[in-house]
Amino acid sequence: LSRRQLLFRLLFKAAWVRKDRALTALISVAVVATIATAALTIYSDLEGKLSREFRGFGANVIATKTSGALSSGELTLINQAVGSGGEAVPVAFAIGTELESGSRVVVGGADLEKLRKLNPAWSLTEMHQGNAMVGARVAEKFSHGNDWQIAFGSAVASVRPQAIFHCGSEDDSRIYLPLADFEKLTNVQPGTVLLRIEGRPQEIQAAITLLSASLPGLEVQPVRQITQAQTAVVGKTRSVVFAASAVVVVLIMLCMVATFTSSVLERRRDFAVMKALGASNRAVNSLFAAESALLALTGAVAGYILGSGIAFWIGKANFDAAIPPQPLLLIPVLLGSVFLALMASTAPLKLLQQIQPAAILRGE
Amino acid sequence: MFLRLLFESFRRQKRRKSVALLAIALGMSIATAMIAVGTDIGDKISQELRSLGANLVVTPIDDTLDVNIGGVNLKPASEGAFIPESDLTKIKGIFWGHNIKGYAPFIANEETFTAKNSAFKADLIGTYFAQPLHYGKEQFSTGVRTVNPWWTVEGAWPQDYDDWPGDDAPGVLAGSKLAQQRGLAIGDQIEVGGKTLRISGILSTGGSEDQAIVAPLHIAQKILRLPNAVQRVTVSALTKPEDAFARKDPDKMSPAMHDRWYCSPYANSIAFQIREILPNVRVEQVRPVEQNQGRVLSRVQGLMLLLTLAALLAAALAVSAAMAATILERRQEVGLMKSLGASNLAVAALFLTEAGFLAVAGGLAGFVAGTLLAHRIGHSIFGSSIVVHPVVLAVVICAALLVTFVGSAGAVRKAMQFDPAVVLRGDA
Repeated sequence: LSRRQLLFRLLFKAAWVRKDRALTALISVAVVATIATAALTIYSDLEGKLSREFRGFGANVIATKTSGALSSGELTLINQAVGSGGEAVPVAFAIGTELESGSRVVVGGADLEKLRKLNPAWSLTEMHQGNAMVGARVAEKFSHGNDWQIAFGSAVASVRPQAIFHCGSEDDSRIYLPLADFEKLTNVQPGTVLLRIEGRPQEIQAAITLLSASLPGLEVQPVRQITQAQTAVVGKTRSVVFAASAVVVVLIMLCMVATFTSSVLERRRDFAVMKALGASNRAVNSLFAAESALLALTGAVAGYILGSGIAFWIGKANFDAAIPPQPLLLIPVLLGSVFLALMASTAPLKLLQQIQPAAILRGE
Repeated sequence: MFLRLLFESFRRQKRRKSVALLAIALGMSIATAMIAVGTDIGDKISQELRSLGANLVVTPIDDTLDVNIGGVNLKPASEGAFIPESDLTKIKGIFWGHNIKGYAPFIANEETFTAKNSAFKADLIGTYFAQPLHYGKEQFSTGVRTVNPWWTVEGAWPQDYDDWPGDDAPGVLAGSKLAQQRGLAIGDQIEVGGKTLRISGILSTGGSEDQAIVAPLHIAQKILRLPNAVQRVTVSALTKPEDAFARKDPDKMSPAMHDRWYCSPYANSIAFQIREILPNVRVEQVRPVEQNQGRVLSRVQGLMLLLTLAALLAAALAVSAAMAATILERRQEVGLMKSLGASNLAVAALFLTEAGFLAVAGGLAGFVAGTLLAHRIGHSIFGSSIVVHPVVLAVVICAALLVTFVGSAGAVRKAMQFDPAVVLRGDA
């Protein structure tokens, strides 16, 4: 039996003969690795996942031309900055007069499909074969018939709602016509773009800065209540998840260290026998360390897989989008677990080394 | 004899017992802290979401359409209908009055101002900043400072005057864009309708108010000669996220259903209650806010719930493993007891009683530590404490008992399966 074979044999037997002891140690490492992996994976992706939930709030940035109408070059730049995930809706407004009641009404021109997409929170009552989106208060005021004649100076448009929307803001007092029809009627071109820029708070801010710099004729401003709420909610949730995970991971680690220490102390007889048979302190230390490291490594790998699985599932269950595993986490989780296990197993050995093997074997 | 065994076991095995106790206490403080944070996170995030501003808007039912383009109000104040300001405090008296975080009344009209010998047109907006009010015996203050927390002022917020202040020029806010265009600065005096106002601060909102003069409501009412009148009230209320039941038409509900609907803080039922006490008003949800805050809230709550479950499971496993480890160490004791004639039942009873004591002590210590941790988290992140419900203590003690019993039972059974002689020889 060579020295190396002996070492392997000792390692293997130590785990195999006392399966339950090895198993409790393994479980305690795996639990730490699982919860640490799950918490860190979730934490790393939380900002993006939560920010997505703010898309329903409608436009989060408004760009206004300080004078005149938007040029097609400016619109192209804006569309580029918004990207494929967001929405950019140019709008123009004019005041019309409804002929029968004589009341003034604000009429907007916009791409109606895009307007609907931008405002998923609007509650819509679909009508048939109309040409306009009509705010709830307008529909209530003009309750006579379904065809309204709206005059802009000498031009008169016939408006029939395709959908009536409720939104709770001043838009409820407005009528939206398709942009082309609106331009033909009023000769007014869009000077404002409603934007929904997707992303994390800092990405939105970066897009605003970029737009302001590249479009000097435009004033680009965030809809502050939405961006502020997003920043607050995303930031605080991240902090809570971080603090709670830190507490859990640290406490569970302590728990694991306690378990490990006690399972090493239990083996004081093995330790004493080895010493009595002439093993050096170093040999005993490295044997115990190798055993712990092996257990920790196995536990950590299992924990990483399990933890990534839990994070994936939490993403699916809570955000309807899986949180992908973070390969970068594997190394820190493995190293951390092994380090902890080594600390937890070698510290009690120091204690044992101060006692005579004979005393331990006598059971004192 | 049993008690003596129990007592001696604690006295002689201080190390083992303290390891087990530590593990249980740690596990249970995780449970306490996570349950506390998980159950309170909804309220905390709800408060944060109030920075979205009002979620209900109250307008007179007979009002004409808003004529508002690019933040400029083109509807004269003389047109349209008003809500009497004196009725507004009743909003605090509705069934869900405690959920009303604040409200802000508005009146606006385009006026001609004179400053530094030049005249310009701008909206004059009247509102509450932080108006002290009382409803019955309840004192409260409300206004845009609570309802629109994203409004920032450079300089000082004006006072909410109850009447025109004698000789002084009352303070108002100038919108940041307007101030920039007209060269207005803090301390400047402006005139409107023969009355003098003083700019106490520059207001920045990112909205149409940036181009307006914002005055205390009673001052604006005096200038517009519309005493006791407001055009619009925005209300910020803590609401329960809307579900299918919330969307039902209250008129078509059975009386029992109607009561349940009425007594749930849905935006719709709060709107219904406001309509009950303020006749002739329309109360609309600010849909983007109301529809989405529930969604955001439920995501955050769901996340914390799942994390709490994961943490509880992990804590349970960790505590069980620790208990198993400490009992497995004591095989020889089991062997000795059995060889001296103890029945399996007696051995199990001894170990489980020990575990029970440890669980209760560990549970208590864990609860205290967990409560402290939850407090710290609440204070450092939200600036307000997280309340730990006393029920959590019962839950934690029960959980501690369950987890330690499960952890010990397996290990005790295992220890008893061995032949005492083999164990005592040290061969097992």
